Amino acid sequence: MKQRITYILLQGHGIDPETIQTSNDTLTLATAKDAAVEKRVTAGLSELPQEIVTALNDVHELHIRWTSRVNYDASSPFTSRLPPGLHVFFTPRKADADVNICPLLHQLFSPDLKCDSISQSFSSPPILSERFSHSSSYQYFHPLPRVLQFQTYLARSVCGEFKGPCVREAASLSYASYIDIDFDAISHAVTMAAFWRAGIEAEAARTLPRKWREGDSLEVGVLQVEDADEPEELKMGGYLTVVGEDDGPSPTLFSFPSRHHPLPPSSPATFSTNFQQPAGLHPKLDITFPSSQHLAPPKDSCALHAYLTLPSALFIDRYQLSDPLFLASQNLVTLHSLSGEQDLEAPDWVIKRWGSAALIELTQPPSTNASGGRDAKEWTVTIPTHLRYLQSLSDDANSNSSGRSTLDIPWPTVFWACEAEEGLKMSVNPFDRVNLGYDGLFGPKTMFYHIPPALPEGQAFLLETLEVPVLDPKQGAAWGVQIWTLVAVVLGFGWVLWPLVMSAGRGGEEGGQKKAGVKSE
Amino acid sequence: MSSLSTSFFSRPWLVFTSAILFRVALLMYGRWQDANSPVKYTDIDYLVFTDAARFISWARSPYDRATYRYTPLLAWLLYPTSWGGLWFEFGKALFAVGDIVTGWLAFKVLREHKGMEVARAMRFASIWLLNPMVANISTRGSSEGLVAAIVVALLWAVLQKRIVLAGALLGLGVHVKIYPFIYAASIFWWLGPETVGSLKAHGKNADRPAWLDRSMTFFNPARRRLIASSGVTFMALNGVMLRCYGLPFIKHTFLYHFTRIDHRHNFSVYNTALHLNSAYSAEAPGLQIESLAFIPQLLLSVLAVPLLLAKKDLASTMLAQTFAFVTFNKVCTSQYFLWYMVFLPFYLPDSSLLQKPKLGIVALLLWVFGQAAWLQQGYELEFLGMSTFMPGLWLASIGFFLINCWTLGIIVTDVDTKKHAMAACIAPESKKDR
Repeated sequence: MKQRITYILLQGHGIDPETIQTSNDTLTLATAKDAAVEKRVTAGLSELPQEIVTALNDVHELHIRWTSRVNYDASSPFTSRLPPGLHVFFTPRKADADVNICPLLHQLFSPDLKCDSISQSFSSPPILSERFSHSSSYQYFHPLPRVLQFQTYLARSVCGEFKGPCVREAASLSYASYIDIDFDAISHAVTMAAFWRAGIEAEAARTLPRKWREGDSLEVGVLQVEDADEPEELKMGGYLTVVGEDDGPSPTLFSFPSRHHPLPPSSPATFSTNFQQPAGLHPKLDITFPSSQHLAPPKDSCALHAYLTLPSALFIDRYQLSDPLFLASQNLVTLHSLSGEQDLEAPDWVIKRWGSAALIELTQPPSTNASGGRDAKEWTVTIPTHLRYLQSLSDDANSNSSGRSTLDIPWPTVFWACEAEEGLKMSVNPFDRVNLGYDGLFGPKTMFYHIPPALPEGQAFLLETLEVPVLDPKQGAAWGVQIWTLVAVVLGFGWVLWPLVMSAGRGGEEGGQKKAGVKSE
Repeated sequence: MSSLSTSFFSRPWLVFTSAILFRVALLMYGRWQDANSPVKYTDIDYLVFTDAARFISWARSPYDRATYRYTPLLAWLLYPTSWGGLWFEFGKALFAVGDIVTGWLAFKVLREHKGMEVARAMRFASIWLLNPMVANISTRGSSEGLVAAIVVALLWAVLQKRIVLAGALLGLGVHVKIYPFIYAASIFWWLGPETVGSLKAHGKNADRPAWLDRSMTFFNPARRRLIASSGVTFMALNGVMLRCYGLPFIKHTFLYHFTRIDHRHNFSVYNTALHLNSAYSAEAPGLQIESLAFIPQLLLSVLAVPLLLAKKDLASTMLAQTFAFVTFNKVCTSQYFLWYMVFLPFYLPDSSLLQKPKLGIVALLLWVFGQAAWLQQGYELEFLGMSTFMPGLWLASIGFFLINCWTLGIIVTDVDTKKHAMAACIAPESKKDR
């Protein structure tokens, strides 16, 4: 088992090596509370519970990405983002094999996941870039708010193997901004990485870097971002310590090309999301950038994009988003990709698939002066969506009988996608993050400049809540819909039939006469 | 004023020219709006048709276009739209031509079979020809106008005793839109001895058993021709389409209509019950009312109405059938109203709705009010997000249903009491045919 822990301290303050204390199997960083941290654990299959190993038997690749609904400040090099919730990207070992990882997902994350089988519940993202080897065959998403069941699973089934306060490691995941789990059949290893933002008050969010078992390796970096020489690159400086081998922290300075970048300081854009009110059955999702001025492309070749993962209750109509005039009126350029459930007619209760993923190119605000400057007005783009008819959550104790249901729709991820120069080897980046759903929809030489979401005052999570009108079965029963509909039909039917029956009574003899009158051909 | 309108309606060329210019203007306006506004004039269904036509032009199946639920014939008919440019309007123009043909056939039927004078016939044909709703629907690219043209052509062919042609149109109509099968019942019944003449003259074949004799009488040559011609047309069209496009044709054109859930709010009286039973199937009663909806619907539209009224006035019977079919249907949207509106020119002239203007105005107002009440609830649901499913939409749909039943009752009584006049009208016709 290998551990790599990376502390990222704020740029420009310098790192005092005295703050790093090492022992034979632990390391203490005095300024840990001010640092963002990524922890990465790689375990061989033999080190994992048998049930996991069995479940991974027919899996070629499995990438699980969970993102917290709590907003966070990303720290370079951990700048990539995803819509909050549980994302799964999966490739079976054999294309036609009937592999089902739904039971595994139910066991690890929640029995409530809408997941029956790969073919029914997963979607197949398009392969837009053949050369890009990172695209998985199947995709799944669920707006899972917490990973409590996963933490419990780790504590019960994995922690038994290790000495020390392993359960506290599992507990600290409650504070993580995102968790990545990766497996591929070639490396035969499972990697789990988690990221915590800087400055979390709770002590439970922090654990002491330590070897969990004799023979494990533990490498700890205490780093900060330095000014890079090339725009495609990131440069990190600080101290690296291989715990148990090094006597103390050794200074380091290294740079690498990076796929994901923060926005340049000159254009500190943010975005927020909300549904136009009243939303009705065709909610329009507004993405608002508070200042056009700050919405300048980081490079020349950049295009602004939004990546949405929509639960099945909400969908995008690809035909609606094919008319250039309509797209322009919503400040959209084009719908690059839409995969997953696209039935425009079915109600949610017959849909088995998780929902759909959309990549949309957004219009950049126009330049208002000759030198390409932009004004300080806010810039809004609108993504038209449509609701399916939903069931009422009648089993929910909180639901009143007002005939409404609530839906939590995750905020999209918004970024600039820019063309990078040829020959960049992004994979040499020790912090590279791939299999995010949208990265596979671009070529391998693409750089992403992520625009951080900014929650409006009073909103706690990166979720938009939609109030959806539903037909409440309790109201239906209270009004006696079935019986009174029947009464109305019988009444109406009788009203129309009555004159006909009267006529038949009179016309019966006539008909008889007619028949008698006709003999043969 | 009235002399002005009489001089207008007594010149058919003027009415038809107006109807055509009206549609040309709408087509041009639609093209302008589509090019300049994000809100489109063109109907979404028309984009489905033209997409399907494009697939056909690429030698692919029209069913490669999601939500294409029509016969491939329609996509083939709109093939020129795949050439792009101004040809995109070809389908709409075709549907508009369908309107004009419908109006012309209605005019002919009113002149030749109802013996109306030109101005009066033109006035009633204008219910269709100059109806802004009809012109709007066609020029936006909805195919309902084409179905109306087939159905009125069917009526005209039957009245002309062109039975083979009528059968072919019936087969085509059912292939295109299914619902015209209800007319088979009324036309079949109408083609009895009192219409096509008694077969007595041919004398009795002594070798024939009585039951065969009776059934030969019942299935007289006209009825046999109707069955054969409609059956052959329907099966031939289906055979060709099945051969070319395989099972997706059956699935999307026919099976879809029997398996669709139709849970979305619509005018149908069954909608709320259906929505409840579909969404909460565990709590649904063992016998779901909407699964039996076809019983009153078909009892009225293919049994009671045609059997008791067809021989009195075929055109008005077809109106009553369609009205019953739409009113008692499991799903009902405003495009379905066109299905019966096309028969109004034949029914209205002698109807009590016109003879007793107060009754007519009350019926019209109730019909409009019933729809308006429902539409208001529907608007609150769809655009304001208010939960009007219960009780608003449900009560509105029941109210509209009862209004329609009341109106249908009037229509049925009207046709029933008109029998003597029609019998007199039909008698000379039947001689001519034999």
